[in-house]
Amino acid sequence: MTMDRALDLYDIQGNICKGYGRFGFPKARYFFLEFHQYAGARAFLQQLIPLITTAEPWSEKDHPDQSDKPQATTNIGFTYAGLSALGLPRRSLDGFPLEFRMGMKNRAGILGDEGPSDPANWDPVWQGEPVHAWLSVNGQSRQAVVDRYRQIEQLLQQSQGSVTIRPGHKGPQGSLQPWQDASAVYENGRVTPKEHFGYVDGIGNPYFAGCGNDPSRLPGRGKLTRDDGWQPLATGEFILGHIDEAREYPIAPEPHLLALNGTFMVYRKLHENVTTFNRYVDRLATDFDGSRELLMAKFSGRWPDNGAPLVLAPDDAAKAELDQQLAQLTAKAAAGDHTAATELRALKAKWIDFTYNKDRHGSRCPIGAHIRRANTRAALETEKDAFNTPSALDDRRRLLRRGLPYGGEDETPADDTEQGIIFMCIGASLERQFEFVQQQWINYSNDFHLGNDRDVLIGANNGQLTDKHIIQVNPKQGKAPFFCTHLPRMVETRGGDYFFLPGITALRMIAQGIIDPT
Amino acid sequence: MANKFGNSYGLTTLCPLINGHQQHTSFDKITRHRIQLLEENSGSPFARIPDTYFARLFILNDVFFEQGNNVARDHLQSKYLVFTSNFHGDLEPYLQGMWNNAEADVRHIWQYAVAFDKVQNAADFIRYIKRCQLTTTLFFNGSTDDSLQQQLKSLYVKQAFTEFALQHQGKPVAELRAAFKTFMQQLQIDNIETPSWQPGQTQL
Ligand code: HEM
Repeated sequence: MTMDRALDLYDIQGNICKGYGRFGFPKARYFFLEFHQYAGARAFLQQLIPLITTAEPWSEKDHPDQSDKPQATTNIGFTYAGLSALGLPRRSLDGFPLEFRMGMKNRAGILGDEGPSDPANWDPVWQGEPVHAWLSVNGQSRQAVVDRYRQIEQLLQQSQGSVTIRPGHKGPQGSLQPWQDASAVYENGRVTPKEHFGYVDGIGNPYFAGCGNDPSRLPGRGKLTRDDGWQPLATGEFILGHIDEAREYPIAPEPHLLALNGTFMVYRKLHENVTTFNRYVDRLATDFDGSRELLMAKFSGRWPDNGAPLVLAPDDAAKAELDQQLAQLTAKAAAGDHTAATELRALKAKWIDFTYNKDRHGSRCPIGAHIRRANTRAALETEKDAFNTPSALDDRRRLLRRGLPYGGEDETPADDTEQGIIFMCIGASLERQFEFVQQQWINYSNDFHLGNDRDVLIGANNGQLTDKHIIQVNPKQGKAPFFCTHLPRMVETRGGDYFFLPGITALRMIAQGIIDPT
Repeated sequence: MANKFGNSYGLTTLCPLINGHQQHTSFDKITRHRIQLLEENSGSPFARIPDTYFARLFILNDVFFEQGNNVARDHLQSKYLVFTSNFHGDLEPYLQGMWNNAEADVRHIWQYAVAFDKVQNAADFIRYIKRCQLTTTLFFNGSTDDSLQQQLKSLYVKQAFTEFALQHQGKPVAELRAAFKTFMQQLQIDNIETPSWQPGQTQL
């Protein structure tokens, strides 16, 4: 018997184990299917299967060998309505968790999708009956995306109306598009890791057992151990059919082969009100004791320009020093200085390998900052050794983020132009992971002793006096905390749903119509 | 295991209901219906009963086991009206306050409890409840153990002060002082009754 058994990465869809962006795929297209006739739909899936990208290992982005990487990737997920339309047996369908069966729209009350985020205001593609499937194509270039899309479009044509694309994504200049394009944000023609508010994104992500990622990525991304080390999270937190952090198998449909190596994914189009954001920051910055950048960092927990965490550089002076150190080491390393290169790596490791243990009061990173809410690390263990492990309360609420920004390419971003983030996140339980984080940690603060405060960036705030965020200070320094009041709605939900991403074996069985739970 | 936790009291009572019917409706059903028609929030009789933190009334029909009953044996002999209340202070004054402020509701709710027809006054009621009392095990009080009025005033002050702080951030000292003086006058910190939250109130 062995505790760890390698995952069959060739049976797991690629986007589960890899954030494609990190591997040099800055462009993507997402589109949604409707199945009208299940025999035809299954035939379509059978032809699509060879195009599906698995989690097979590739060299990392910086690696010299690029040959093993395709130009474009393809992945697929199904809604409950989609699985139903494909003729899955009743008993298999009934085994899916309730929140997945209900779909995102019907969970609006839990997710805080009210006011401007109310499903009635979502893009046309989300109105009426749910879509059946999500298809995603990521590409090393826009051309590669379009080529792969055309290839799939041909398969759709061959299906003779059994499978069609559901159009209705709001695009630039008031247009409606048949698909949702997404792209990394470019500055002066170069890819950046930024989103449209101007923050570097895509740093924090969980590391789980068997994921196939470079083990150097573990510190800061796994789960915390008592001796301040890091271990991979249990596979079952992210992939069905494997043991999770509670040493149980995640709730999954029958038969076992339908669930094995599959998982669930949230797709959410999050519009960013860029004008509202900039105006708010500008107005507040005049009263705030610190730079505009520091204020932005106090919202998210990381410095906007390079993602340095506030726990590492809590104020403008510390940030200037850090930047200088970084520049010097980078220059020396580029000139071939090996010691400098090692030091540089050690410094960069601190971007992710940190906790809030020495920042209990939030004087460095505010307790309500976005990343401290979304990944509490060990911060909820307020009494020494209260839990089995320091991050026990967090380990079951981790989110594998797989999104990309959209819009901002054809228009200057404002509130009424189309830009934001296509937020996608993966986990074995939508309810326990994404929904809990969204409801309890983003839109509520009981666990943080911050009353009803909501996340600055994505909370369902409405511009009222008490829609606030507190920038804490060190109680010993005799300074007053800074209150950010009248928080406006910076981000609005424009659509989305919950998808089941089957393993390759299950996908093949669905396509053959041989799922049998008896 | 005790009923008291600091100055808070955890009362648990099981009052047997008369087995029987009135015009095809059993007494437990009539009682449940009466409980379900009680008003909520500020209109609830418990909002009138001093120092009630959290109270609950329900009907216990029978015992149920996860793994199946021994149907031949495992049944309650009657149905029970269960009354639990977390409150500030001691039992007797609390029950006295209950009788004094909600006698009509109490008579209405307990009408079909076994032997309740003998209850004529507060002293009888106190005796009756004590006979039905169980020891509260695993008593957890979700708030402080101050008097209800004290707690409501504290919440009010906390909320009002938060808003004051938010509204006056960064104001010049003289202006801040003047505003704070006015604020403290309006707050009447030593007046426990007003301005404050009212018992049962759930929204400003
Ligand atoms: C437009 C919407 C959003 C914006 C602008 C945004 C922005 C950011 C930024 C700037 C970071 C820091 C970079 C990093 O650590 O990767 C971050 C991290 C993160 N965000 Fe968001 N985010 C958005 C939506 C969401 C949503 C909806 C969730 C979940 C409900 C979420 C969960 C997280 C998590 C888990 C992290 C990583 C935290 C860590 O591991 O330390 N974000 N986000």
